[in-house]
Amino acid sequence: MKVLKVPARTIAVFVLPCLLLYVCLVFVPILVSFGTSLLNWDGITTPKFTGLSNFRDMFWNDPVFWPSVRRTLLYAVASMLEIPLCLLFAILLSRYLKKGNTLASIYFTPVILSVVIIGQLWKTIYNPTSMGGMLNGVLIALGLDSWTHNWLTEPKIAMYSLYFVSLWQYFGYHLLIQYTGVQNIPDEIYEAAKIDGAEGFKADRYITMPLIVPIFKISIVLAFIGSLQAFDLVMVMTAGGPAHATDVISTHMYNSSFLSLKYGYGSAIATFLVLLCLTCTAIINSIFNKLERKYS
Amino acid sequence: MRKVKKGIVYVLFAIPVVTQLYPLLWLLLYSLKTNEEIMGGSFFALPKELQWHNYKDAYESGSYLKYLSNSVIVTGITMICVILLSSMVAYAISRFRWRYGNMVMTIFLMGMMIPMQATLLPLMVIFKNVDILNTHLSLILPYIAFSTPISVFILSGFMKSIPAEIEESAFIDGASIYRIFRSIILPVSVPPMMTVCILTFITIWNEYILAATFISSERLKTLPFGVYTFVSQYSVNYGAIGAFLVMGALPVILIYFFLSNQITKGMVAGAVKG
Repeated sequence: MKVLKVPARTIAVFVLPCLLLYVCLVFVPILVSFGTSLLNWDGITTPKFTGLSNFRDMFWNDPVFWPSVRRTLLYAVASMLEIPLCLLFAILLSRYLKKGNTLASIYFTPVILSVVIIGQLWKTIYNPTSMGGMLNGVLIALGLDSWTHNWLTEPKIAMYSLYFVSLWQYFGYHLLIQYTGVQNIPDEIYEAAKIDGAEGFKADRYITMPLIVPIFKISIVLAFIGSLQAFDLVMVMTAGGPAHATDVISTHMYNSSFLSLKYGYGSAIATFLVLLCLTCTAIINSIFNKLERKYS
Repeated sequence: MRKVKKGIVYVLFAIPVVTQLYPLLWLLLYSLKTNEEIMGGSFFALPKELQWHNYKDAYESGSYLKYLSNSVIVTGITMICVILLSSMVAYAISRFRWRYGNMVMTIFLMGMMIPMQATLLPLMVIFKNVDILNTHLSLILPYIAFSTPISVFILSGFMKSIPAEIEESAFIDGASIYRIFRSIILPVSVPPMMTVCILTFITIWNEYILAATFISSERLKTLPFGVYTFVSQYSVNYGAIGAFLVMGALPVILIYFFLSNQITKGMVAGAVKG
């Protein structure tokens, strides 16, 4: 309800401080980034205008760019695939336990830790046994010596080791979101269904599933967008190495800008990333809107 | 049959408890071992003798307290500013009669989809030009900016549900709009503010990349960046590295231990409403 008629000055006092700060620190940098992407600039000498040549290089001449896009998308897909598992756990938790909350908050613990802690912890776990790595130790103890690897330095495996850490960290997050969603479905619906003969998995199929779609969508969007932006964990654990084998879009951008000092080129990648995020959000939203209309 | 099924489900529940907690517990054990015990590779063994001096070493060779107090300062200032600024905007959006309310909301919502790292380079160039690079201000400003969208969204959602009659009668009694905001709206909005506080705290307390890009002085580093520096520079004693990691995780773990319900609720509310 819009009730208060206030003078423009008052509105300005309430809105402008926050809005200006926000526009100056989020939108202006993005626009600056679009502008910089048209330059050839190392941050020190005078920038040279080169038009779209950074984008041309990015799309056609950069052997690192497309693989990093592929890894980013795979990251997104992998983290979405985790969510049905979370939903399954959420349903079981609310069916078999009165106080599932406690268990859910135990699962949640890794979410609140900084990527630096998580990254270093898993780096230690992935270490070779000679340096006290846990994972290889476990494998050897199970008699699976041939499965041991240098998890973060073998180019073929390193990226999957990173995906796993990410899935591990966010398992509890998505589980808790789904669990809250399941808990919010009113009990009366289930009771009514019981009278009509729908119980257990039948009730899940016809009641829980359709009613959880909006929450499911939120998890999917969060997981997808979060992985497109995947950055700090990779930076902390491998920084894109060995030999670009774990570069994702963001780390490629970071390394181009801050290590190779190609400010223009880095900005071109940043521009691509922003546009990719906006497009993907729009696509996912429209898909789910269709789904919701179908079910309601 | 029922019992067997229940048993299977309980085993299923136990698996994530092990996978989610054991690595953390393992780190704790790791931090109390000698180098030899760690290199010995027995991943489940308890340390023969608890090596508390690992903690002493870690504490003495790193500047833990400095990092910690920097994190407290940066996160604290950010949280206060976010609460204040975003509740003002939220109030204006949900209550004032003006033409651009929805437009302002849309601007904030759009920002939620913009990846923070895309602004790293331009922000660095801008901050260098206004000469605030390598100060706490260069962290606090973007932290506030990136926390406001979700906060405005949560707060304005709540404020729309406050009955307007309270304000109307206060208005008739001659209270100014600032007075109404301070004495009625702010106190009533404490619950959603808690949600905003929790979300901001967890995100900003753990933030690493901005800190690592904009800060270079040792005495200004926040905890995550400090932990990272310590771990990458100190390589003599594995146990001490583990100890520093544990110390780095400790503040947030302690807070989570006492407030886990509020934190999980706040984070889920933030996710669902966003």
